[in-house]
Amino acid sequence: MLLFRGPHWDKGLSEGELHQALDRVMAWFDGLSARGKVKAAQPLGTEGRTISGTNGRFVVDGPFTETKEAVGGYLLLQADNLEEAVQIARSMPTLQYGISVEVRPTLAECPIFERHPEIVQRAKERAGRADQLVASAA
Amino acid sequence: MSATTTTDYLLLFRGNVWDRGLSPAQLQKVVSDWMAWFERLKAEGKCTGGHPLEEQGKVISGKQRTVADGPFAESKEAIGGYFYLTVADEKEAIEIAKQCPGLEYGAVVEVRPVADVCSVKQRAVEYSKGELVGAPA
Repeated sequence: MLLFRGPHWDKGLSEGELHQALDRVMAWFDGLSARGKVKAAQPLGTEGRTISGTNGRFVVDGPFTETKEAVGGYLLLQADNLEEAVQIARSMPTLQYGISVEVRPTLAECPIFERHPEIVQRAKERAGRADQLVASAA
Repeated sequence: MSATTTTDYLLLFRGNVWDRGLSPAQLQKVVSDWMAWFERLKAEGKCTGGHPLEEQGKVISGKQRTVADGPFAESKEAIGGYFYLTVADEKEAIEIAKQCPGLEYGAVVEVRPVADVCSVKQRAVEYSKGELVGAPA
């Protein structure tokens, strides 16, 4: 998973520079697609909400995407390994304008859950029993 | 407007150390609840994808395309995983986010609409039309 951070990289570019940069991004993306490297990719809207607290009792506007850390979009890569994903991230044309790309391997199992394998096992067994109950009831 | 209109949202789960200090019983509950929550949303057709992310990754930045380790593994802001939602509207996406079983232990959920067009491209179009406020002449 590539997370693109700092969605306001276009600030200060002239119209010509901006169009040129966007053309290069499109060409880069089309090249990756043609090579079968793109599983999914989308930009994110600039508005959003952040939810925290028990039962989600705090709902606030944000994050504010003007910051360099804000995530502006993502690209789910079909890469052989982290090295290939890093190489692809390094070829992103807009890095020179100040965006950064976070490269994160996706997992089948949550790392927090993995720290507690016995608990996950019990939860799965419980879920399995629930499936059986549903199956026998059907 | 059609009643079947749906919109896509990304839930980004932030914080990857909220399990610290939980009792085995609390952990058991949060793990079971989280799995059941994900399965239910998938069965309802509201969640069409999701992944936890490995804690270790790389961050690439700058003209030199520097590769650094990161993000910092233990952080309240680090993104630990995501759900891809297809729902009626933002209200429904927020209602689903509020059901996150990790919230009471300090997890934070960011709700972001998936856009058709990248915001930079949108600005470039406005630029061409001369509508971008503050654009250099």
